[in-house]
Order: sequence, then C-alpha cells, then structure tokens
Amino acid sequence: MTDMASPDSNVRKDGFAKRHGRGLTGLLLVAAPVILLGWLIIYPIFNAVARTLFVNSDAGASFSLDTYQRFFTDSYSLANLWLTLWVTVVCAALLMAICLPLALYLRFAKSRIAAVVQGLALFPMFVPSVILAYALIRTIGPNGGVDLVLNAIGLPKINSPYLTPWGPVIGLVWDNIPLTTLMLVAGLGGVSDNAVEAARDAGARHVALLRHIILPQIGNAMLVVLSFTVLSIFSAFTLPYVLGPASPEMMGPFMQRTFSQVQDTRMAVTQAVITFVICAGFGAFYVRSIAKNREARQ
Amino acid sequence: MTAIDHATTSHAPHVPVHKTKQTDWLGLGITGVLGLVVVVPLIVVAIWAFAEVWRYPSLLPQKFGLRFWNDTLSRPDVWGAMFLSIRLSLTVTMLSALICLPAAYAFARLDFPGRNVLFLSFLASHAFPKFGLLVAIAGIFLNLGLISTFWGVVLIQLVGTLMMMIWIPVAAFQNVDRAMEDAARDAGAGPLRVFWSVSLPQAAPTIFAAVLLSFVGTFYETEGAWLIGAPEIRTMPVLMITFINNQIVVQYGAVLSVLLWVPSFFALMFTRRLVGSASFAKGFGV
Repeated sequence: MTDMASPDSNVRKDGFAKRHGRGLTGLLLVAAPVILLGWLIIYPIFNAVARTLFVNSDAGASFSLDTYQRFFTDSYSLANLWLTLWVTVVCAALLMAICLPLALYLRFAKSRIAAVVQGLALFPMFVPSVILAYALIRTIGPNGGVDLVLNAIGLPKINSPYLTPWGPVIGLVWDNIPLTTLMLVAGLGGVSDNAVEAARDAGARHVALLRHIILPQIGNAMLVVLSFTVLSIFSAFTLPYVLGPASPEMMGPFMQRTFSQVQDTRMAVTQAVITFVICAGFGAFYVRSIAKNREARQ
Repeated sequence: MTAIDHATTSHAPHVPVHKTKQTDWLGLGITGVLGLVVVVPLIVVAIWAFAEVWRYPSLLPQKFGLRFWNDTLSRPDVWGAMFLSIRLSLTVTMLSALICLPAAYAFARLDFPGRNVLFLSFLASHAFPKFGLLVAIAGIFLNLGLISTFWGVVLIQLVGTLMMMIWIPVAAFQNVDRAMEDAARDAGAGPLRVFWSVSLPQAAPTIFAAVLLSFVGTFYETEGAWLIGAPEIRTMPVLMITFINNQIVVQYGAVLSVLLWVPSFFALMFTRRLVGSASFAKGFGV
C-alpha cells in the first residue's frame, strides 16, 4: 500500500544540516507511538516469557518449567488446546471453500451485481462480534429463527450448534469472510485478464485454468490468509466465550478464566506464551510477506 | 485518496466485454445465499427488538410494540455503560490521533534513521495472537494497579488503534500532490502554512475515515475492556455479554444490538470505499 522508499525530492534538495535536523524531527514525531509499541507490545512479550521461565524465591530467581509441565500434563488444558486447533483447521478450510469462489467471482465478474456481492461480502466487517454472537443465538440457537421456519414448513428442528464447537466455528467464519475475501481478491489482482483469456482460447477448462494459471499466482495470498486465520482464531475471545461449549473451552476464554477467576496470573501468562509459540511460524511468515511486499515496491 | 480510487477502479475490464447483456445468474445466486447468511441473523434481531410477545411456534411475534425499549432505556446500567463507552472511545480516539497522525506524517514524508524498521514493526505488531498479548499486558498491569481502571482500559484500547491510525494516514500523506505543495512554497508559503492549507486538506478524507474506524472499533472493543476493565469498568459490549449470558429478558439484548448498530452503520457509510479498496488489503501483507 505504501512505498516508503519513494525518493523524497524535498529531502534530497536540502543540505546536510537541514537533513540532520529533519532526521531529529522525524524521530521526535514518531517517538510517542514507538514508545507505546515498545512498552505495551514488545516488552510484555519478553516479560511473559521471562515471568513464566523464572521463579522468584528468597534465594533469587531460578529457572523453572513447572507451569509448562503442568499445562502439558493436564488433560483439561490439552483438551482446550486441541479444541482450538480443531476449530482453527475447520475454520481455515471453510473460509477457503467459501471465500476463494467468492473472490474469483469478484475478480472476474463484469456485471453490476458484482458490486452488490462485494457489499454483502464486506458487510460482516461492520458487525461487532457481540452483536453477531447475539444474532446467531437468536437465529440458529434452540427455537431460533431457523427452527421457526423449519417448523412452519413441517420439517424437524436443527441440531443447534449453540454451545457446541460448531457455534464458534460458524461465528468465526462469518466474522472472517470480509478480510479473507479482500486479501484473496487483492492476490487475484496479479492474475492478468490476458493470461486467462489466452489459456481459455487455447482450450483450457475451468479446473485447469484454476490449477495452472490462477492458483500459482495467489499461493502467497492464500498463505497470508491462512496465517491471519490462525492468528485471529487463537486470539478469539468473544465468539468462543458466548457461543462455544463451557468444557472444553477455547484458548481465549480459558486464558481469561485462568486470569480473572482462578487468578493464577503465571499460569494464564504461560497459556499466552504457548499461543505465541504455536502462532510464531504463521506470524513470522506474515511479517516476511509484508517485508517482501514492501521490498518489491522499492 | 488517489491511490485508493485507483485501486478500486483498476479492476475495470480491459478485455472486450461480451457478457454484460446476459443476466449474471451466478452473481444473483451468490447474492441470494450471502444475503440469507449475512442479513437474516440481523433481521431476526431487529424483529426481536420490537416484539413484545413472541412464543415458539409462531413465525412472527404475537405482539409488536416498544415496551422493551422503555424497559431497556430506563435501566441505569445501560446509560452508565453507554456514557462510559462514549467517554472511553472519545478519549482513546483523540489520544490516538494526537500521537499517531504526526507520526504518520513523519513516516510518509520525512527521512530519519530507522524509518523502515520502525514502520515495519507497527505492521508486524499484528503478527502476535492478540488475546495472548492482552493476557501478558494484564499481568503487567496487575502489578501497576491499572486493572479495573479507566486509564488501564484507555491504554489497552489505544494500542489497538495504533496500527490503523498509522498505516492509513501514511498512505494518505504519501498521496498528497507534491506539485501543489511546491507551487505553494514557491508562492512564499512557510512549511506549516503549506502543511495546513495544502497537504492536510488533501489527506483529510482518508484520515477522517481512519479516525472514524478507530472510534467505532474502540466503541466495540470487547476483549481488552473485559480482561483489563472487569469488574469496575463495564462498557456497552461488556454489558451486552452479561445480558446474553444471564438471558434475563431476550429483548434487552435485541434492543441493545439495534442501538449499538447505529455507530457501525455510520462507519459503513463513510468508510466503505476505503475498506473495499485493494490498498486496504495490502496493509495486511497480501
């Protein structure tokens, strides 16, 4: 989106002294948010790791893995972790299945209906998760809107996903459709109409077109989407808390309960560090992708 | 705005169009399914908000009315939460604008050591699972006595707005027409005057969208308020979760949803162009 390296003619024209002054001004202008970033994002991460690895006792700090050992030997904690991983995999698969066709349609459609589809696909971005959670309970919860309609046409009620793992899955997929679609459409921007037309003229079928022309082009975008999904599901709190089962629970509500109700700060922070480690690979890929993107523009 | 406008229109067809006369059945089908999935849950909530009696097998409420609007709006906790949420969102958005907009200008237009690394680190701050980060911060706030205080929640929500309030305005400042600035400078305008009369007005619409998105995002922010603010600081979304969990009266939640829906409707109106553009997705590293 931004090319920081665009040669700034103003800076170039200025003399050395002025440039020096500008450097200082620039640093001063960015100081406040940078300090905030350092204090409330970078420091807490290191603090969390240090706090969970070292125990303070009278004899001074000593290295200990006790909370991690407790987490990985406790069947309840492990069940929560597995549930979160399961929800992540299911959500990622569903999001791809829903958003890839949607993005392909938006990229290649030339009718006016495409604008309506885009509007609808972006719409969930403006619905806060609290309202979404409530709306889903009223719609697919027991005796909700769907049950009413099914009953009216003489069909049996649905097996409500409310308070089962499928509750958060449905909510999280709904919530993530806009960003996933946006990213995939942006990725598809690299596929040229000419390439597609040429392949079509050469007799390529839809499947072949998708496999050989389109998918190789958007591989990176798909991986970014995947990273984003993993990160957002491991951070999800509201939807799993309201729509999900009480036991086992997903990592978000689990951490919150450990912190606020059990009041075991060290254990809660340990759980947080475990989510950091699981997401680290995806996070690193995401950062690398941003950096590469920006280099490409320079 | 220019880059954003470009981005939205760059997909315009360059290839000879031979489909426009045909009905786009696929598009209509997708519209139907998406409409069903996206809009119906919200319609159900809207009906609930105006239902006085709605017992199970009936397809529509037995009795419509505004009774529960009166009931909801006469609850002191609703007003308390509403004013608190507005106060929080205003404080956070103003602080965020105050510290982020100058920084965005610097990132976009000034040259200083570490510029690229620092800018990248803002974008990279999204590479951590947010809730785990909140728990880590909460552990620190616990020692500082910031848990369950107004300013603790302000700080946590301020961090949440940083990225958006920096990268959208950076794009806005970069797209300012340099020729116009040079012309103003040649005409004898000082740097502040150029910034105020030339650069800022051009960047203003995008910046306004970013400020609005931050305000609405802060208003709906639930996780930080819940984790750091509990039990003293009860914002609107937190109150809403309590209503959902306790299920006292179904309509309370519905009325609150419709009320809460108002700010996001405005956000939708003003920022759709920005959010729908490809440059928005670029911010996420696609």
